[in-house]
Amino acid sequence: MSRVWLPCGDYHQRYTEDQGWWQTNVIKGKMIFLLLIVFVVFPLILDEYWIGVANMVGYTALGALGVQLLIGYAGLITLGHAAFIAVGAYTSTLLILKFPWPEFILNLGLAYPISILVAAIVAGLWSVLFGLPSARVKGFYLILTTMAAQFITVDFILTQYVSKIGGRGQAFSLPPGTIKIGPWAMETDLQVYFVMITLLTLTIIMMANLLRSRVGRAWIAIRDNDIAAETLGINIIWYKLLNFFVAGFIGGIAGAFWVCNCAALSPEHFPWFLSLWLVGVILIGGAGIDGAIFGSIFMVVIMELLQMASIPLGEHYPRILFDFAFIKEMAFGLAICAFLIYEPRGLSYRWWQIKNYFNLWPFSY
Amino acid sequence: MGVENLEITEDLTIPQLFLHQCKRYGRRKVAMREKEFGIWLPYTWQDYLDNVKYLCLGMVSLGLKKGDKVAMIGDNRPEGVWAEMAAMCAGAIPVWLFQDCMMEEVKYIIDHSDSKFFVGETQEEVDKALAIMPDCPKLEHVIWDDPKGMRRYQQEFLHSIIKVQELGRELDKKEPDFFEKIINEGKGDDICLLFYTSGTTALPKGALLTHWNMLSMGRNLMAVDPCYDTDDFVSYLPFAWIGEQMMSISCGLQIGYTLNFPEEPETAQHNIREVGPHVMFAAPRLYEGLTRQVQVKYLDSTWIKRKAYEVATKIGYYVAELKFKKKPVPWHWKALKYFAHIIMQKKLKDHLGMSRLRHCYTGGAAMGPDHFRFFHALGVNLKQIYGQTEIAGISVVHRDGDIKFDTVGTPLPETEVKITEDGEILSKSPSVFIGYYKNDEATAKTLKDRWLFSGDTGFIDEDGHLVVFDRSKDVMILNDERPFAPQYLESRLKFSPYVQDAWVIGDKRPYVTAVMCIDYSVVGKWADENRINYTSYPELSQSPKIYDLIQAQIEQANNDLPEPARIRKFVNLFKAFDADDDELTRTSKLRRGFMGDRYKDIVEALYKDEDNVPLDMTITYEDGRTQRIKTDIRIQEAGSGK
Repeated sequence: MSRVWLPCGDYHQRYTEDQGWWQTNVIKGKMIFLLLIVFVVFPLILDEYWIGVANMVGYTALGALGVQLLIGYAGLITLGHAAFIAVGAYTSTLLILKFPWPEFILNLGLAYPISILVAAIVAGLWSVLFGLPSARVKGFYLILTTMAAQFITVDFILTQYVSKIGGRGQAFSLPPGTIKIGPWAMETDLQVYFVMITLLTLTIIMMANLLRSRVGRAWIAIRDNDIAAETLGINIIWYKLLNFFVAGFIGGIAGAFWVCNCAALSPEHFPWFLSLWLVGVILIGGAGIDGAIFGSIFMVVIMELLQMASIPLGEHYPRILFDFAFIKEMAFGLAICAFLIYEPRGLSYRWWQIKNYFNLWPFSY
Repeated sequence: MGVENLEITEDLTIPQLFLHQCKRYGRRKVAMREKEFGIWLPYTWQDYLDNVKYLCLGMVSLGLKKGDKVAMIGDNRPEGVWAEMAAMCAGAIPVWLFQDCMMEEVKYIIDHSDSKFFVGETQEEVDKALAIMPDCPKLEHVIWDDPKGMRRYQQEFLHSIIKVQELGRELDKKEPDFFEKIINEGKGDDICLLFYTSGTTALPKGALLTHWNMLSMGRNLMAVDPCYDTDDFVSYLPFAWIGEQMMSISCGLQIGYTLNFPEEPETAQHNIREVGPHVMFAAPRLYEGLTRQVQVKYLDSTWIKRKAYEVATKIGYYVAELKFKKKPVPWHWKALKYFAHIIMQKKLKDHLGMSRLRHCYTGGAAMGPDHFRFFHALGVNLKQIYGQTEIAGISVVHRDGDIKFDTVGTPLPETEVKITEDGEILSKSPSVFIGYYKNDEATAKTLKDRWLFSGDTGFIDEDGHLVVFDRSKDVMILNDERPFAPQYLESRLKFSPYVQDAWVIGDKRPYVTAVMCIDYSVVGKWADENRINYTSYPELSQSPKIYDLIQAQIEQANNDLPEPARIRKFVNLFKAFDADDDELTRTSKLRRGFMGDRYKDIVEALYKDEDNVPLDMTITYEDGRTQRIKTDIRIQEAGSGK
């Protein structure tokens, strides 16, 4: 069965057609329209502030995609994803700052792009290391082992040792001009936006391709019933570790992007709360790649709106501004509760229902 | 395209045409698709040729000779068409049986047709064949296709299609030219099909059709409504029905369109929607079912959707009415029609699988004007067809833009239709059959001087349209000499989604009454929503609230009827009419005479001052088991509804 609603007269003779990217011209049109919006229209109409917000959405989405891959596609519940983002960020930063790059690579502005790739691979391998327990444990116990990844990586290794490299205390800063892609040094938010949207698009393409291939089907089989999957001949340990690798890989990309967005780096950027936050994003977003994207947009934009609302309130109740971090966490908790009760299948399910409303027109089923 | 389309001549046979088309399209074009495991598996014309060739040669090596009969039974699958074509190629004569035929019918047809081979699809059909083997000594070989459950069958006369094809390959190695040689031996006036008609009376008769009959019929139909080789057609109605043969073989082979076979009979509706055929031919029952489905879904949908549906339907009806009256459609109505198309009809046609449909036909039984209007309001080009098995399916059809729903249209090219003094419809065309198999008496009665005596009565109206009008079925007279039209009333009643079937009674009676069969799924759903408990069809049908529901439907139909035609009393039958109980023909026509006898008690009670009928009768299941039913049926009165 094809995954999309096919109009009458559109049928498939091969399974590859069932898994096609653009199965109908309408879908193709919609996707081209969407790409035009994000690559052309947004950069033209959004001001600096909202471009900054969009960058945060992109960062959250890159993180959430990795979590979606683990939780949503392989059933490997993780509460330590921030560790892999951190590994990516630190790998990229250290490569840019410390690696003796040959002159021509620096001139061509390839150091940062190469560092993104290396960061992704290192984060992926790091993720596999902490994925090893998944061969033995699952469910609740796996959550604990992933949390171990968080504390070992961020609170111990990064804070105690890595961030002290160079002797500048806690934070790295990347001087202007060190992050260069080709001839462009990353100076404005708009440039960062283009990096973000390119990385996000490529990541989505990679992930979607994986999910519609043998690998993706194996993951989904493991998620649905690991014993049945094993009986079908799927090497579940191999595929689980592969899932950890790809999730870490995507996390590494997110981390490397973070460097370019922030131009500074500290272990405080990757608290355990970030891991939890990303799980919240996909809980609210719902299943699928679109779920991760919807969730990121919702969470980041809602928090921004909350912040905007709190500024006028702050004139009368100054504590609101002081304690905004706590209000934010409270709102996050409330949002999760509300979603679990009223929209347990997330925003992507709502989106599906909206599409169905029109697909089934003029009927209801 | 390289090779030209072959001209249809009197010398051409179906196998010769088949060979020509296979060579013409080869591997470049898909001849048929079957939905299996979720995708539409394609078979090219080359695959089609190979399968038919080896199957044909295999059957020949098993002893199939020219003129032998091959009985076939099974769902619509590529293998069915292959077997039919293979038999034809060998010069043998295929005989199709309905899948739901009772054992007695199967035995009668196989014995009467002198079938030597039997091709069945699954274990079920093989079991049928094994059961009748002792009574049919002429039956020699049984071929099956689906291996499920066949492992332990060891009889020597049982063969799988694959094994037969292997035998064919061996023969082909020995004599590579043999296949083409036997095909070229065929002549256009050879018999190509033996068709047992589903008579409303007596035993089935076997009509003999020649290659020229079949091919000329397809050619003449497509002269009226051209098809193209890029078209899709869904083959899902029984092959034992002439209408399916006509579309799949006569037209399909000539023009080379793609046949699509559904996954299972139960999924046909869904599969039709996927394929979106360009041409469709079905009995009125299917269209009635679609209408009912739309009405029910409309009732269940949300307010905005219902309003959109209502507005678009009103516009559609108005424009369709103008077209029926052959009046020009003013530009603002055209604009409104386009609007209706956008907001509703486009999507609705998509749901029904009719968005690519160029023309679709209904035939085999009468269809009510309400249903006709419904489809034309949607913008579906639905036409009536008239014909018999004896004339290879079709002789009369509606032309585009000239549709009158009380007629069946005008004759096809090369076809003459005339009416005798008694009102009987006679037709003459190259497609008229050559006689009944082993029944000279019936042949003499039906076929006189190449004119086909249909047994139907009718007249030709002022526009040259044929109106099939049977005094015995279409008009009845109350005992005070006032006429009413039972079939028309029935089709009106069936327009209600809650009514699956209706039987209107009243001939030589003081007033009109009806026996109603509720639609189990629709009424069942209604009952669920209204918190009415029920466990089965009989119980549901007898519930007082359901009686009231059906009464409301009848009263609505009564509304715009003249006083004598209004239905005064009705009963809800405890079961739906079924062909297995001989209440319907296999093509779903009511057998009034039989029903009159079977439900004598009900009919009598309807005209007495009674509220209840005690009933005691037997019903038959598809496997031949019978069950005795004793029950009470309530009689309820219906008003005019105003």
